[in-house]
Amino acid sequence: MGAWNLTGTAASAPRGTAKDALSVTQAVELAAGALDALPQITMLGEVTGFRGPNARSGHCYFQIKDDSSAVDCIVWRGVYAKCAFELRDGMQVLLTGGFNLYKPTGRMSFVARSLALAGEGLLRQQVAALAEKLRREGLMDDARKRRIPAFCTRVAVVTSLSGAVIDDVKRTLRRRNPLVELVCVGAKVQGDGAPAELIEGLARAAALDLAPDCILLVRGGGSFEDLMTFNDEELARAVAACPVPVITGIGHEPDTSICDMVSDRRCSTPTAAAESVAPAITELAELLATRERRLATATSGIVQAARRDLVACAQRARQAISATLAQERRTTEAFARHGCLTSPGYIVERRASELVQTADRFERAGVQAQERFARAVADLATRLRAASASISAPRPALELAASRLDGAGESLLAGHRAGLAAQAAKLDALSPLKVLARGYAIAYDERGVATSAKNFAPGDALRVRFGDGEVAGTVTGVVDNG
Amino acid sequence: MADQKPVADLSYKEASQELERIIRALESGDMELEESLESYTRGVELLRSLRERLADAEQKVSVLMKDVDGGDTLVDAGPADTSDELKL
Repeated sequence: MGAWNLTGTAASAPRGTAKDALSVTQAVELAAGALDALPQITMLGEVTGFRGPNARSGHCYFQIKDDSSAVDCIVWRGVYAKCAFELRDGMQVLLTGGFNLYKPTGRMSFVARSLALAGEGLLRQQVAALAEKLRREGLMDDARKRRIPAFCTRVAVVTSLSGAVIDDVKRTLRRRNPLVELVCVGAKVQGDGAPAELIEGLARAAALDLAPDCILLVRGGGSFEDLMTFNDEELARAVAACPVPVITGIGHEPDTSICDMVSDRRCSTPTAAAESVAPAITELAELLATRERRLATATSGIVQAARRDLVACAQRARQAISATLAQERRTTEAFARHGCLTSPGYIVERRASELVQTADRFERAGVQAQERFARAVADLATRLRAASASISAPRPALELAASRLDGAGESLLAGHRAGLAAQAAKLDALSPLKVLARGYAIAYDERGVATSAKNFAPGDALRVRFGDGEVAGTVTGVVDNG
Repeated sequence: MADQKPVADLSYKEASQELERIIRALESGDMELEESLESYTRGVELLRSLRERLADAEQKVSVLMKDVDGGDTLVDAGPADTSDELKL
């Protein structure tokens, strides 16, 4: 080599000659040795070009850069496995390790033996660790989150009194529900001393004479570091321990602070937090309209039920009284059907016919008694004659006695005869036959004595009793004088 | 019904809760007619009062201020200015 001067310039001193030249391998090894001789380096930079661990080997290849330089980086699989976080483009990381030259390509890489987050990444890692610690303590358990009334009428707001946030809260609630009374408690929401002021603000709000229904802990949007105040451990513990339920609305939608995690209700923004404390006034008006309808429906239901009861009672009363009346009517009609009322003459009739029979019996008894006495007297007379035939001596005495006996017998009979005649005369006077004998007659229909022309209709059988017998016939016509 | 406060003395929340109780009691149907009519009258009174309060509601805002000896005092701050929104 070096035998040709192709450039036309004279080979001069600093230039090596072919004789002095190193092979590529030698040169690369020289460089590699120089890199190896460097002490362990810790380097701060931003991850770029990270595409995840290599699918086959598990090693990570990416670049780390700052404003003006960049260098390839390698994190071996074993190192990455021990790492507590996942690498992402844009992350600020601290890499500790050394440079290495890959001889087949001559490419220099930084091989990290350990890596750690820096900047916001570090903060986020610390926040995540604190969150995990508090979670393990149970500060984020749903069970310890307090119930917040659906309609808080007195609300304390702990935030900066100088920012736009307090106005947003006031305006939101004035528009949504002016019945919510607000008590504003001022506190710094970022920078040194902010957590302490917020802790004090929570305590002052909770200690209000008339305790609020809830406390709004709110702050407008900001950078991650601005919002770090709400990742403060002491403040988080104060939120969890606050005797009044705390609602947080910190930053914007995706921001979640530790205070959000331990609060009783987490809202994404201060406005959302304010809206969550009470229903809108239009909802209240609708609720009142609903209640008005329910009140009217329930009351008219009660009144209608009472009216139905009353109607039912009236109906039952009517039924009861008409049943009682019907019963009384039946009883009365049963009385009315008694013979004594339908035909009062029948009783007299029956008694009269009984009396007739008695009179007949009495008459027969009288006759029989007379016959019996007559026979007895005849018998005695016969016996007396037979006896007197044998006794002739005292004849005149006997004849006298016989004559006295006759007289006595006659007078004995005469008394009875006279009594009997008197009774017969009385009986005769009482007999209905006597009435009949005067020209009256008794008419009978099929049921007995007929006392009314109404009992008959043409064609009915008719029987008429006269004093000396009966006539039977058929009614040919009825004339009603009643 | 025993401890009835005048409706005007009740807070919105108290009045609203009493109204709900009355409606529930009426809806349960266990009430005597006279009692239910009394409840209805009370309910209508509460309803009217609640409506008026909704219509007349004025936001109350105060600020908790530290006074010279370190104690807390409530200072009235007046309602939020929403005049710009009302024009919308």
